[in-house]
Amino acid sequence: MSRLIRGEFAKLFATRLPLWSLVIAACCGGGLTGLLALVGPENATPPLPGLDTAEGVGIVVGMSGLLLFVPALIGTIAVTGEYRHRTIGTTFLTAPRRGRVLAAKLLVFGALGIAYGLVASLFAGTAVMVGAALQGVELGVQLGALAALLGRLALAAAVYMILGVAIGALARHQLLAVGIVLGYFYFLEHVLMIIPGVNVIHPYLPGGATAALTDFTFLSDAIAEQLPLAAAATTSPFVGALVLLGYAAVAAWVAIAIPLRRDLR
Amino acid sequence: MITASSDTASPQTAGARRTTTRRDRAMSGVPIEVAGLAKRISGVDAVRDASFVAAPGRVTGFLGPNGAGKSTTLRMLLGLTRPDAGTALIGGIRYQELPDPTGTVGAVLDIAAAHPAMTARGHLRSFAALGGHDAARVERVAELTGISEYLDRRAGTFSTGMRQRLSLATALLGDPDVLVLDEPSNGLDPAGIVWLRTFLREFAASGRTVLLSSHVLTELQHGIDDLVLIDRGRVTWSGPLASFTDRGTSLEAAFLELTSTAASDIEGVRA
Repeated sequence: MSRLIRGEFAKLFATRLPLWSLVIAACCGGGLTGLLALVGPENATPPLPGLDTAEGVGIVVGMSGLLLFVPALIGTIAVTGEYRHRTIGTTFLTAPRRGRVLAAKLLVFGALGIAYGLVASLFAGTAVMVGAALQGVELGVQLGALAALLGRLALAAAVYMILGVAIGALARHQLLAVGIVLGYFYFLEHVLMIIPGVNVIHPYLPGGATAALTDFTFLSDAIAEQLPLAAAATTSPFVGALVLLGYAAVAAWVAIAIPLRRDLR
Repeated sequence: MITASSDTASPQTAGARRTTTRRDRAMSGVPIEVAGLAKRISGVDAVRDASFVAAPGRVTGFLGPNGAGKSTTLRMLLGLTRPDAGTALIGGIRYQELPDPTGTVGAVLDIAAAHPAMTARGHLRSFAALGGHDAARVERVAELTGISEYLDRRAGTFSTGMRQRLSLATALLGDPDVLVLDEPSNGLDPAGIVWLRTFLREFAASGRTVLLSSHVLTELQHGIDDLVLIDRGRVTWSGPLASFTDRGTSLEAAFLELTSTAASDIEGVRA
């Protein structure tokens, strides 16, 4: 197993994917959050709470949670690339026990996901602090609380990358898999969020669980303001984390189990 | 006291079994044995009751027209496709159960390629690591296949012929006892084809097993010892190439006859 993990790491680092992932993480973490922090959330339309409030910091940092489909896409593209470029044959010839190969892959991409999350969080945290300093306001939260929030975002990034790998391993076709990931996170989950009756399950969908994990209820609150709906409730951060890890575990299990029997053509 | 040297120790004795090295296996050889293999793909019998043997020390050609079931058979042999029936064994063991798969069998298949963004070196290093082979093998297999100068170029920039050589280099990483090649001459120039033929001859001459498929008869004519003919999923003839051509007709005429006559006629000439 350790040989397979070494091999999968070697494969990963033989491409520029790790480098690009971290560059993208820096952009996603620093970019959106940085922009909001620099402009000042109170200057946004509609105005948001400022960085000198805990709520304002939460919204600005939580915004980067909206970009969690990015690590999912990285995982999806990396895995389906094996099918697209037909390297999966070489992989399964070298390691015919496919379940172990997929397990090694999930571990390796989990590690990349954590690296992605840490870089994104580091940049988001820096952006918030620089933004507050530039506006000459005291940050609305303690450094420890900010670090904890960022840490939870990093965990979510790792989970999303694993989800992306699993979806890629199941769909195999790159465009299809990318469509599934984007279609779900950009469209389906938001639709589920606004259908009365159905939206009670939202806290237990990946996006809802992420919102709970990062205390980010901005979207569901906004929807509640616009529509005659009760805001979709969120669970506690702890339950959110459990739900997300549950999704990762189920996705991993399916991704390991299904390709075992499939023919390669 | 005389101790049995590893060369003469019987692999059947329990003690010798543990110490059997890969060199010993090469001495006795690792055969490919396919028996009763069958596979339906999308309602079509891609392979029906295919049986043949590829013996160590010999180059076996697997010949048949396009769509005859060659690739499907080879994929079943290599554990990439699950057969509906029958067995395909390498040295008596299914591919998926080989303790050291790439150290036993090297395969060149169109569905086993290199990532275009990786350099040849990066690709070979990755698969050496994945297969548990020494990183020094990378330089060695590059030398063997003549791609040393191209190691730091990205696989995506390779010509088809270079890609085939990289594929062969990957197959050789584990210094295998058996080589399985699916249409390896595709994209090779005439000089490349002659080079490959010589390479496979030498590989087999060291007591190892070569099974290569082709749909081009003339390509196999000069490079193989044994022939397995497949048509519409059935093995229609197998045996030494010499006895095939002894049938009195030219190889080409015999091939056409065996691949175009009705299945009932084919039964009659099956070896």
